[in-house]
Amino acid sequence: MSRPGFVLEVDERTPPLLIHEGEGFRLEPLPLGTKVIYPPDSLPGIRQVDAAIRRALLAPEGTEPLPELLSPGMRLTIVFDDISLPLPQMRTPDIRQRIIEQVLELAAAAGVDDVELIAANSLHRRMTPAELRRTVGDRVFRAFYPDHLRNHDAEDRRNLVHLGKTPSGEDVEINRRAAESDLVVYVNITLTAMSGGPKSVSVGLASYRSLRHHHNVHTLRHSRSFNDPPHSAMHHSYDRMASLIDSQLKVFQIEATLNNDVFPSATRFLNKREWEWNVGDQASYLAVRRGNRLLRPMARHRVWQSQFAPYGITGVNAGAPAAVHPRTLASLHRQQLTEVDGQSDIALFGLPFICPYNVNSIMNPILVMSLGLGYFFNLYRGRPIVREGGVAIFYHPVPDEFHPVHHPSYIDFFEEILTETTDPLVLEAKYEEQFATDPWYVQLYRKSYAYHGVHPFYMWYWGAHALEHLGDVIFVGGSRKTTARMGFRSASTLSDALEMASPIVGSSPSISYLHAPPLVLADVR
Amino acid sequence: MTGDPEGAARRGTSLAISTKRLGVLTGDSGRRPRRLAIRDEVRLLRHGRDWRGRSTVPRSAEPWVPEVAEPEFPTAWARTPLAVAVRGGLLRGVMKAVVWSQTAPVVQGISYLDGLRGPAVFVANHSSHLDTPLILGSLPPRVANRVAVGAAADYFFDARWRAVTTAMLFNAFPVERYRSRRLRSLAAELVDDGWSLLLYPEGTRSEDGWMNPFRVGAAHLCVTKGLPVVPIAISGSYAAMPRGSGWPQPGRPRIAIRYGRPLYPAENEKAGDFRHRMAEAVARLAAEEELGWYGALRAAADRTLEVPGYGSAQAATPSAITGTAPASAVALSTRGVEMARWRRIWASTKPAPGVTRTGTRRRR
Repeated sequence: MSRPGFVLEVDERTPPLLIHEGEGFRLEPLPLGTKVIYPPDSLPGIRQVDAAIRRALLAPEGTEPLPELLSPGMRLTIVFDDISLPLPQMRTPDIRQRIIEQVLELAAAAGVDDVELIAANSLHRRMTPAELRRTVGDRVFRAFYPDHLRNHDAEDRRNLVHLGKTPSGEDVEINRRAAESDLVVYVNITLTAMSGGPKSVSVGLASYRSLRHHHNVHTLRHSRSFNDPPHSAMHHSYDRMASLIDSQLKVFQIEATLNNDVFPSATRFLNKREWEWNVGDQASYLAVRRGNRLLRPMARHRVWQSQFAPYGITGVNAGAPAAVHPRTLASLHRQQLTEVDGQSDIALFGLPFICPYNVNSIMNPILVMSLGLGYFFNLYRGRPIVREGGVAIFYHPVPDEFHPVHHPSYIDFFEEILTETTDPLVLEAKYEEQFATDPWYVQLYRKSYAYHGVHPFYMWYWGAHALEHLGDVIFVGGSRKTTARMGFRSASTLSDALEMASPIVGSSPSISYLHAPPLVLADVR
Repeated sequence: MTGDPEGAARRGTSLAISTKRLGVLTGDSGRRPRRLAIRDEVRLLRHGRDWRGRSTVPRSAEPWVPEVAEPEFPTAWARTPLAVAVRGGLLRGVMKAVVWSQTAPVVQGISYLDGLRGPAVFVANHSSHLDTPLILGSLPPRVANRVAVGAAADYFFDARWRAVTTAMLFNAFPVERYRSRRLRSLAAELVDDGWSLLLYPEGTRSEDGWMNPFRVGAAHLCVTKGLPVVPIAISGSYAAMPRGSGWPQPGRPRIAIRYGRPLYPAENEKAGDFRHRMAEAVARLAAEEELGWYGALRAAADRTLEVPGYGSAQAATPSAITGTAPASAVALSTRGVEMARWRRIWASTKPAPGVTRTGTRRRR
């Protein structure tokens, strides 16, 4: 029986607690009285994963069994989440491979010849052939790549189709092949409550024309949080779009949820509560930390990026998207939800080495901002863990590093645009269109492996709610140059950060620390 | 790939910058956090942990401590003749030499063991990890070599290396403190095999140096098997090396180990009654530290002696309460009179007569 999540109150018995800081971690003695929000223990994974997938396909929610939806001569499109999920990447076989193989077995048995597989990368960078192979498995890759296994291209005008407008006037434009298929099978991994469900097709296969209706400052400021779909304006927009898509397209959604086994056995102490560390865990901590410090930066990148999580699968649900997603969210909440009593003056977050947009890449300062003020700040339901006007303290070195192939527009955004303003509304009004339509960025997105030109703006908007909510943002160990460029402050130590925050929150602030990863969703009452 | 001049023109020099940055992955690599020396890292890691690397559980986390199935560790190998011979050498050649060099033990009443034949149960108050080496080191070798020590299964037998070490050094066997399956018969089996036992009926080390009420397990064993009990009182070990300390205090603190006359369970005597007699005997021995032998006998006869879990027969105010706490302080845990924890610790750490504030002993 896995233990539920809980809130620790730091007392004199509490050992120093682990905090992630990019490609590293540290032990930090936290002030007495600090509330530490721990996720539930990792749930046991399903032992017979293939049997669970088969059951889900044969007894789906809200629609006919998959074999009944397959017939000779039909156009079948299998769409799957791209490399931004899960985080970190999972050990092979990837759950998407397992699901796709079973779907294809059923399709072959039904005599379906016209099958296409599309990575739902939206405005993300294209997946490389090696990444595609790792995700769908060798058999699928050999059978379909390159002609029938490809990335979605949100800038290929000929292969986009405008399905219409929602009642709120939102354009819905998605991949033509999917839109003109008799059946779309969407294979999703729901890692956070914001993923899956109505988001899958309406975002994963969409174009900028469609995305700008929900990926904007106004919507994101009214998504409180975007991990709480009923209170997320962004998800309301997804819902409207998904309704329109469902009226024109048959979608069979398959969603998998994962447990909290994020770290491999060599670093299993990262998954344990610190007072339960045994001697082996302590020795591992010391060895990994010291060894990590000895590595050169590029070697360290490689080591961290080659960490593959031994996730267990906690649920596989299939059927009509609207019927499937509530079950998926229930499974996710079992693994991630922790009740928290009230807000604090200060929130602490340790930011890990990975976010959705630096898989096999580099975490640049914009992505650090998006991870901290976007993803981690929004890991709440109800209210943020920090009060309005409070201070967020993040641990991350925020190095001035960019991947020139994956993030070219980020470099210009950082060097040229952020020097002008950091106000999301100004950025949106003044610069977004330029970056979104720049032919050079479009070219790099389509033919190289670059994120779309508008992507750094979206990352900035991702933190718009936090920027509005917080009184100050401080990065412990952060580069002074990069944090200052983004309008934040850096501190050498937690004590310094607390001192810097004291004019805003006083000298005896209440503090909450979100102990993640593994991911935890704070249900703040 | 070629750049787009119009796009570049619209953004000024942005493309020039991105072109310039192409191929350059790292600029300012960020402010490097202060590098901790390995010594500081270890100190941080060890903070709040005991010598076994275990941390205390934060109070708010106590409801969530997982229940783990304790692994079974066999200990029969530690009672083989070879192990007994090795242990005898370690005990007298190393452990006793170290303990006797760091403390100043005073052993009294060992002559009561002269007439003892066959297995017996040694019971003592317990407030320090020094207690077992002190008792085993003070027993005659013929007795010490035949003593098995009951050790907390959840503390000493939770990891193989600890279990092996404890069994080797002390001939320890696991005692389940929380009514689990393990104690069910191991103690009885050992007695049947002719081994004497050293048990601490309080169940754990005292947190303040004062004796806690005895549990009934040892008395039940003696009543069931008709075994004699040898009461032992240890005074001063709490002050010398309390919980949380890994080494005795400097200055060779004085520790008294007093053996009492063996007690035999009477015919049809109930375990509860025998437990009372055991506790009273230990309490009386402990009171000798302050009252002297005869004074302790008088206190017992007058029924003014406080026996942990039973209080005093008369509701008289014990000496400790009135400010004349015995240095041992073990006899004065009360049922009827509560004392602040700090006062118990204060009394338990009172320097023995003749010891200066710096811990050095005055020459007489």
